[in-house]
Amino acid sequence: MESSAPSAGVAVRRRLSARRALGRDWATAWLFLLPSTLVLVGLIAYPFLSAIVLTFQDKTVGSPGRWVGLQNYADLLGGGAGSMFWQAVVNTVVYTLVAIVGKFILGMAQALLLHESFPGRMVMRGIFFLPWAIPSLIVALTWKWIYAGTQVGLLNIVQIQLGLSRDLIQWLANPDLAMWSVIAVVIWQGTPFWSMMFLAGLQAISGELYEAASIDGANVFQRFWHVTLPGLENVVAITFMLSTIWTANGINYVYILTGGGPGGATMTFPMLAYEVGIAGAQRLGEGATIALCFFPFFLVLIYFLSRRMLASNQ
Amino acid sequence: MAGGILVFLVWTLVPVYWILATSLKTDLAIYREPSLIPKQITLEHYRRTLFETPFLTFMRNSVEVAVVTTALAMVFGTLAAYAISRLQFRGRQWMARAVVITYLVPGSLLFIPMFQVVHQLGLIDNVVGLMVTYLTFTVPFATWMVTGYFRNIPVELEEAALVDGCTRLQALLRVVLPISLPAMAVVALFAFTNSWNEFLYALVFIGRDSQKTLTVGLIGLVRGDTFPWGPMMAASLMGALPPILVYIISQRWVVAGLSAGSVKG
Repeated sequence: MESSAPSAGVAVRRRLSARRALGRDWATAWLFLLPSTLVLVGLIAYPFLSAIVLTFQDKTVGSPGRWVGLQNYADLLGGGAGSMFWQAVVNTVVYTLVAIVGKFILGMAQALLLHESFPGRMVMRGIFFLPWAIPSLIVALTWKWIYAGTQVGLLNIVQIQLGLSRDLIQWLANPDLAMWSVIAVVIWQGTPFWSMMFLAGLQAISGELYEAASIDGANVFQRFWHVTLPGLENVVAITFMLSTIWTANGINYVYILTGGGPGGATMTFPMLAYEVGIAGAQRLGEGATIALCFFPFFLVLIYFLSRRMLASNQ
Repeated sequence: MAGGILVFLVWTLVPVYWILATSLKTDLAIYREPSLIPKQITLEHYRRTLFETPFLTFMRNSVEVAVVTTALAMVFGTLAAYAISRLQFRGRQWMARAVVITYLVPGSLLFIPMFQVVHQLGLIDNVVGLMVTYLTFTVPFATWMVTGYFRNIPVELEEAALVDGCTRLQALLRVVLPISLPAMAVVALFAFTNSWNEFLYALVFIGRDSQKTLTVGLIGLVRGDTFPWGPMMAASLMGALPPILVYIISQRWVVAGLSAGSVKG
């Protein structure tokens, strides 16, 4: 008994200093965090790091990789040997930018409409947000059918009945048209998300601000510019960054509608990474390099976006 | 104003109408006598899809994958959210940041190395491979959303229980969970939908019909270059029903919930 007292004291002191160093609840906390940490490390961080390693290798599935240094990067950036990389860069920028601008304008218009009070408002909201609830793959398939280039496609039925043109329009097979057709689908499905975010933001702006502006003689446009937009600043910034990441990285629409064609006219970078890395020759190294070349851009977005999201979730 | 509503109504509903109309037309009406309104209604495409294609297998696989990954994500996410929102430990801020960042890292960056990982685990052509990899987006999502909800629950509620000698796990299960169940149900529904809609991983990891989920399965209905539009639209409509149902059930919370996830707590 006599001798156990000091050692118990040591144990308590050691536990106390562990608590001081690691925090009061450190043991419980890390036990609770263990499953998620395994997922974050094993299924996100590890694949991400191995993607970086892959970019320095010439590797196919199941074969040991051969170290090629910067060869993959040189091939891509140098645009050698039928590489579509630079075309994919331009396409991805156009695709993302136009889609985002479209979603912003339509989403804002929709949110402003739904913010007014009129009979049946909730029903309209339910309908307007419907595209958001449909799986994007099914949306893409549906539009592929609507765009069909023969006399059975919905758009061709309508345009011929209206007498807009005597020829069938090749919405997806005409290289000058295909990108715009794909972007229209992205906007169709993406608008509800922007509209929901704007609507939530609008509901948080105090009505008194509008009253004050009206008293000061501001017209509708001035109120929108000086009250609505500044009030939505955080919502707009977050939605813009979230939607940019999701849009640029989406593969479903392009995969289904055009497969990147015709002649690479709609080839965006995830589609190209898939084509090179998985379909066909399964050149994993080159595919990973294509995806990784875009990462610095997303890293910047993720940095600013995560800061804003953390700040508003405190 | 009324004009704006009308334009949005047409823009939103025409594609939805076209799915329904096509699925109910005869093949003759689809391919030979195109018209905006079906002259004759038939359920033939539904019958063929249900009984002559592996559609029901795809649906079952989608349900299994979505249920398992959502259940795991909710357990993992809730435990993590409790630690992040309630416990004091070194690395708490860092962990919160890691959750948001991993939530934002896009799948298009991960699918190629993930293909290797799934291959090494021997889970290619196996729904289990999808259940595991879908944790990459459901776990950060659930953790992030639930953390937001837990932060809004007053700490005093649990303190009484802790003083009475409850462990942290008991406090979570007996005090915090019962009051956050409605909110957690909405998070689970979102996670379920995200998993249901996933396409890229399923496309890359699954090749056999018996293991395909709905999204890749639909593509499998294409024979060569011919799209059988009648059955495909019938299958699309049936496959879109679960997420649409989820949307109708959780509609009241959608606007509030979505913005809670990204804008405000």
